[in-house]
Amino acid sequence: MATKLITRPINWNKIEDSVDLDVWNRLTQNFWMPEKVPISNDVQSWENLRPHEQKLTMHVFTGLTMLDTIQGTVGSMSLMPDARTPHEEAVITNIAFMESVHAKSYSSVFSTLCSTNDIDEAFRWSEDNPYLQKKAEIILGYYRGDDPLKRKVASTLLESFLFYSGFYLPMYWSSRAKLTNTADLIRLIIRDEAIHGYYIGYKFQLGYNESSTARQEELKSYTYDLLLELYENEVKYTADLYDEIGLTHDVKQFLHYNGNKALMNLGFDPLFPKDDCQVSPAILSALSPASDENHDFFSGSGSSYVIGKHEATTDDDWNF
Amino acid sequence: MANQLVEVADDQGNLTGKQTIESAMSYQDLNAMINLWGPDQKLQLEKDKLAVRKYFLDHVNQNTVFFHSLEERLDYLVENEYYEKEVLDQYSFSFIEQLEKLAYSKKFRFEAFMGAYKFYTGYALKTFDGTRYLERFEDRVVMVALTLAAGDESMATHLVEEIISGRFQPATPTFLNCGKKQRGEFVSCFLLRIEDNMESIARGINSALQLSKRGGGVALSLSNVREYGAPIKKIEGQSSGIIPVMKLLEDSFSYANQLGARQGAGAVYLNAHHPDIMRFLDTKRENADEKIRIKTLSIGVVVPDITLELAKNGEDMYLFSPYDVEKVYGIPFGDISVTEKYNEMVDDPRIRKSKIKARELFERIAELQFESGYPYVMYEDTVNAANPIQGRINMSNLCSEILQVNTPTTYNADLSYDDIGKDISCNLGSMNIAMAMDGGDIALTVETSIRALTAVSDMSNIESVRSISDGNHKSHAIGLGQMNLHGYLAREKVHYGSEESIDFTNIYFYTVVYHAIKASNQIAIERKSHFHNFENSKYASGEFFDRYTDQVWAPTTEKAKELFAKANVTIPTQEDWKALKASVMKHGIYNQNLQAVPPTGSISYINNSTSSIHPIASRVEVRKEGKLGRVYYPAPFLSEETWEYYEDAYEVGPDKIIDVYAAATQHVDQGLSLTLFFKDTATTRDVNRAQIYAWKKGIKTIYYIRIRQAALEGTEVENCVSCML
Repeated sequence: MATKLITRPINWNKIEDSVDLDVWNRLTQNFWMPEKVPISNDVQSWENLRPHEQKLTMHVFTGLTMLDTIQGTVGSMSLMPDARTPHEEAVITNIAFMESVHAKSYSSVFSTLCSTNDIDEAFRWSEDNPYLQKKAEIILGYYRGDDPLKRKVASTLLESFLFYSGFYLPMYWSSRAKLTNTADLIRLIIRDEAIHGYYIGYKFQLGYNESSTARQEELKSYTYDLLLELYENEVKYTADLYDEIGLTHDVKQFLHYNGNKALMNLGFDPLFPKDDCQVSPAILSALSPASDENHDFFSGSGSSYVIGKHEATTDDDWNF
Repeated sequence: MANQLVEVADDQGNLTGKQTIESAMSYQDLNAMINLWGPDQKLQLEKDKLAVRKYFLDHVNQNTVFFHSLEERLDYLVENEYYEKEVLDQYSFSFIEQLEKLAYSKKFRFEAFMGAYKFYTGYALKTFDGTRYLERFEDRVVMVALTLAAGDESMATHLVEEIISGRFQPATPTFLNCGKKQRGEFVSCFLLRIEDNMESIARGINSALQLSKRGGGVALSLSNVREYGAPIKKIEGQSSGIIPVMKLLEDSFSYANQLGARQGAGAVYLNAHHPDIMRFLDTKRENADEKIRIKTLSIGVVVPDITLELAKNGEDMYLFSPYDVEKVYGIPFGDISVTEKYNEMVDDPRIRKSKIKARELFERIAELQFESGYPYVMYEDTVNAANPIQGRINMSNLCSEILQVNTPTTYNADLSYDDIGKDISCNLGSMNIAMAMDGGDIALTVETSIRALTAVSDMSNIESVRSISDGNHKSHAIGLGQMNLHGYLAREKVHYGSEESIDFTNIYFYTVVYHAIKASNQIAIERKSHFHNFENSKYASGEFFDRYTDQVWAPTTEKAKELFAKANVTIPTQEDWKALKASVMKHGIYNQNLQAVPPTGSISYINNSTSSIHPIASRVEVRKEGKLGRVYYPAPFLSEETWEYYEDAYEVGPDKIIDVYAAATQHVDQGLSLTLFFKDTATTRDVNRAQIYAWKKGIKTIYYIRIRQAALEGTEVENCVSCML
């Protein structure tokens, strides 16, 4: 006899894992749309970039679009069947949706700053670039695999590691006072990805801790192997992108830093020695996801506002 | 990596030794290191000083044009149309030389990288191709002094003394433009009325373009403009209301971008009882439709007392059609006191009205403030009760500190002026409270500042907007501000918001207002002239002075007494006020308005101050500006010892900030930009409560609402100072 499927309504008044609620609250508070950021204020700054810098920026963003497309359409959704609680499913739907928002954001940067020809060229490039394609292939392979915990590892590495070779560039530009509004938008994405990576990593750890020692060993070596496989490809991808402007060394340091961070999210020890993680302080400081930036009406929209919690005033409040 | 040897200097600019820094470290990186904890988990404040040195070595010194002598330099700059010949011609060469010597003898050094970077990117004169510097800080100060003193040598000397010592700092447009041949205006801030007709709306847009082109921030009042669906030529349902006007203004401001230097900036104000008020607020919604979404235009709401009363009673509030109100009363909606006429208008069947829940309006305002920081709030009746000038104040400006009366302009059919009314401009400059207290002669500091600002008003003539230039010629309004309050308090080991800090603020502002009025009175005596319509002001009637002559103002806490005594600052007595009152009633004062406390962004970095009279936003502030990228600014005087006195604004909380501002507000004729800071645990109710408290304490305007969201645990950047709560 086939098992009968019971559909249960999600009850937010009964939280099994408080992290689900925390993350849900944070994600909904952080909700944003690309229209929020006045990218058009960067038009002039864009025009002042040299042609190869423009091209690099477009390639980097196309690469990021690719990753967000994977994450939004396949990645996050593939985590759904393994959700431990109904609330986790809800959080994953939010993550998937925001990934699509991210993917669309890059397009809005493109359409504001570049011409259609340039955009088409960049998308063609993304289809032809062997390292980018390889990266997609590796990740997609694991998403389609049948091991739920391994899917989480792949997802965390994507969220916490692979994105950052791309994020480096807008952070670098903004520390040089270029494309600062675009950087605001990217910082909003980073703000989201930081939580996504943290959350999926956390869920991985729950499953990991319940596993047998042998299984734990397997997962652990799988994680390091996958990271190294991705890293090897990522180094080539980085060199391909950044050699021309001479930033490859810095980006690699940044990759190490984020590789360790991804491992941390999964509850594993760092792989790269501290000396190889010397990220330029300007980049590191720029990454801070806290919304403590100070700005005024001259400086653009900033990346700090949140959706407020509504609470009605009472008669006592109006006691004057 | 190769190392580079740099000289290190102490606070007085004396060399104290040499230190090596990695030459591979860029000044951006050194500066960013103050936002990261050092290896011993200590603040790396010295890295910022190294960043300044590195910036000079690697960038400024290599890109500064060298001249053999002052004479050669000035000749070159005049011949090549960099400096205004007329400014220099007012003085002998030997005097200018002497002034330069004086300026350089003060051994000015930038305390923070932010200050140096900001000065060289934003203020210093550059070659026309923008690649090399033609001025150092001292040269800029001298040029500003020479321009504003207009040939008066003693005034020029005073000004150099006050500015280079950091006691007085003119606002950006003045400090940036003085003495330059290719320059913008000295005045930064404009307020325009818009009336309920197409001529006035179009003129408003035109003026907005002209004024942004000249570097100004422009605020416009939309309260008079008829609402959505109002009749046009008696045909019902025709008007599209104020949103399309906002759209036109927003696009105008982004078009006029001052040679690409920065976007034009604009704000619009609307009375809370205007029927479009909810639509107005919703333009700032995160998910608003593109057609109505307002991204870069700032918005402000004018709130009369009656709105709060209605909210208190949980009642509905009526919104009134400006079109009908103007027909009934014969004056524009914005010039009516809604509080006074509320019941009358509710009962008048000729006035179309709609209603909303008063509390819902406040809740909506708070929601929007979470999402966007807007709207600003102006408590209309508080503002008008405190206004010593005849007339009505119905709006504020882009930073919500300018509060002056205005009158409407009317037009002929061919769009020429029929009757030119009075619009508002204001030039600003701020005193650094710590330096002013240290300076020993606060009377002279205030007087020099007032004279400098008056000079700016005298030299301004915005011909393209007649209502502005006429208004300026009549009122000579200026706004003397204050900054570095928190810096001063922290240095003196006083907690911001404590009883001592409120006591100090009260008596400091009390002392400043006395000297400011005295200086303006002195100018009136010298020039035998006072501002237009002085006769009908509360200065002329003497009423303004009652609270100073009838009551003793003195510090009450030991700490505040000690601070004033230590600084040798004499606190004006009732007798002083009586004498001043008599002189003012006899001779008048030259400036219609004297004080306004702006938020001070850029100039407080150059001046190494904390902004305005706010608490700091962060011990290490992260600042993003179009021209700068991300730059990190440590609070002035920050050290292990002052650390605990630098509670940030979110920790201080809204109530204490309001208390400090309330103490200052009672002595300031215009407004004070007041930002309220909340942690992300706050709800709209907390924001509403703060707004109610502010109103109760007599606060005139509220500028931004800022919410700080801490990084979710587990996602922070390791070692980040500004992430630390």
